[in-house]
Amino acid sequence: MLHNHFPLEVSHLVKTYALKNGVRVEAVRDVSFYMKPGEVFGLLGPNGAGKTSIISIITTLEKATSGSARVFGEDVDSNPYFTKKQMGVVHQEIVNTGFFTVNEILKFQSGYYGIRNNNERIDYLLEKLGLKDHREKNVKQLSGGMRRRLMIAKALVHSPKVLLLDEPTAGVDVHLRESLWQFVTELKSEGISILLTTHYLEEAEKLCERVGIMNKGKIVFMGSTQEAIAQYSTKKVYIEFNSGEAAVYTETASAGLVEILAHHKIQFTDIKNIKIEEGRLEEAFSKMVNT
Amino acid sequence: MIAFLTLLEREIKRFLKVIIQTLISPIISSFLYLLVFGVSLGASVTLKNGMPYLSFLIPGLMAMGLINNAFQNSSSSVVTSKFSGDLEDMRVVPITNSQIIFAMGLGGVIRGFLVAAVTGLVGTVFHYYKLGEPLYVQHPFWILFFILVGGLTFSFIGIFIAFIARTFDQLSAFSTFILLPLTYLGGVFVSIETLHPTWQAISKFNPLFYLINGFRYAIIGSSDVQLGTSIFVCLMGVVVTYIMARIALVKGSFSRW
Ligand SMILES: Nc1ncnc2c1ncn2[C@@H]1O[C@H](COP(=O)(O)OP(=O)(O)O)[C@@H](O)[C@H]1O
Ligand SMILES: [Mg+2]
Repeated sequence: MLHNHFPLEVSHLVKTYALKNGVRVEAVRDVSFYMKPGEVFGLLGPNGAGKTSIISIITTLEKATSGSARVFGEDVDSNPYFTKKQMGVVHQEIVNTGFFTVNEILKFQSGYYGIRNNNERIDYLLEKLGLKDHREKNVKQLSGGMRRRLMIAKALVHSPKVLLLDEPTAGVDVHLRESLWQFVTELKSEGISILLTTHYLEEAEKLCERVGIMNKGKIVFMGSTQEAIAQYSTKKVYIEFNSGEAAVYTETASAGLVEILAHHKIQFTDIKNIKIEEGRLEEAFSKMVNT
Repeated sequence: MIAFLTLLEREIKRFLKVIIQTLISPIISSFLYLLVFGVSLGASVTLKNGMPYLSFLIPGLMAMGLINNAFQNSSSSVVTSKFSGDLEDMRVVPITNSQIIFAMGLGGVIRGFLVAAVTGLVGTVFHYYKLGEPLYVQHPFWILFFILVGGLTFSFIGIFIAFIARTFDQLSAFSTFILLPLTYLGGVFVSIETLHPTWQAISKFNPLFYLINGFRYAIIGSSDVQLGTSIFVCLMGVVVTYIMARIALVKGSFSRW
């Protein structure tokens, strides 16, 4: 795969906001990453880490202080018409357009992408996202969860190849969260490349092959989700012996069971029962961002 | 092109959804102006050239309706979109700045045209009832020209102000302290001939004066300004305000309030 054909590539991105009172906020400090075709890439970080700022630069809502963002090799500033067509975006904040119905909003959105008769796609998305019975409703009449789903439908009307999801499950109930995860998995299987920002680590663990972990505007870890867990978290091994005694060992997440037993000089034959609690991204994450 | 037409459709649908506020209410105020100034108070007034005051007033009110409504349409569209977060979407979709400006501009022209047209129709009914004959439009082409160019100009100003405004207050400050006085002093209700020479001189610096008089010329065939001057100033106006709107889109923020 050619380097410049990544669905999304961000290099040496810097974003400094200059506030009115003269204070400068260094929201993004030299961030680089790329997404492979068809992958779900997670951008993780606590609130204020700079995730939304990066998305805003990719969508041209904000201008980068320096550095660049490319979509399929094209710069988002010099060829926005191309890059915008490739992307669908779900903003973190819910949009509350008061004037129009769900159906009208999706039709307009299709029109902005130059698509006139898009009923089939709109029907499909409404069905998929459970909005079919609400299509004639005004946005004001929708619940928060429905609005969120409407925003997702909106981002997908033009069948984008790259989808940017900015904290799609923040403030969403458990049921909807699970169905959104399911939906993301389906989109991925259709070959869409997805950038997902989140601070729910369970979400990243479930959906993302690779993650970039951000803290205070910087990437502090980049690699596969498994690597993050293996390097930064621990697993717990609970052993119950035939003798009736019990013990707990805390090990690096990458250590194998045989290795662990050998290390503690434990014989297989002495073991009555064993329980392993695998390392979690949660732990890896808090180690990285709380330093 | 589809993107442009879609946004134009959205702009038109938007004002139709709040029709009471966007069409009915301005039409009622035009109606009241006609009733109070044109029919009651103005009944006894005849202008120097023998023209009845009502004939003079109607084109002025039409121009005022166009100016206000074109401005209101684009500015409130932008501001409500900023408020709801909708405007961010305009930046995310592949639509160019000039498509946004012209779609919003034409949305304002259409609303302004509807208000001006109904004002003209109601005016001509009054005219017929008072003076025994309807008000004939002398130069139909030029009235369409001034509606288009004047409507675009004030829609563009609306876009500009709404993009740079940081609060609703700043937007209404512009309407109250700049647009309203310029409209009233631009010759909607009185011919500048009746003004003190100092005011006459000052009026010549008011661009609205040229639009309002262009309207008047197109409808009744005479005004305080040469047609050519009106056309020139209005064309300059549309170019300058387009550039202003463009700068506002490039430099201004699409982010929500
Ligand atoms: N428009 C803005 N003006 C000034 N500061 C901003 C703006 N947007 C974000 N910030 C600041 O930049 C930092 C990163 O914010 P953001 O990108 O929203 O982080 P995240 O999405 O990871 O929570 C925060 O300190 C935030 O306050
Ligand atoms: Mg954010």
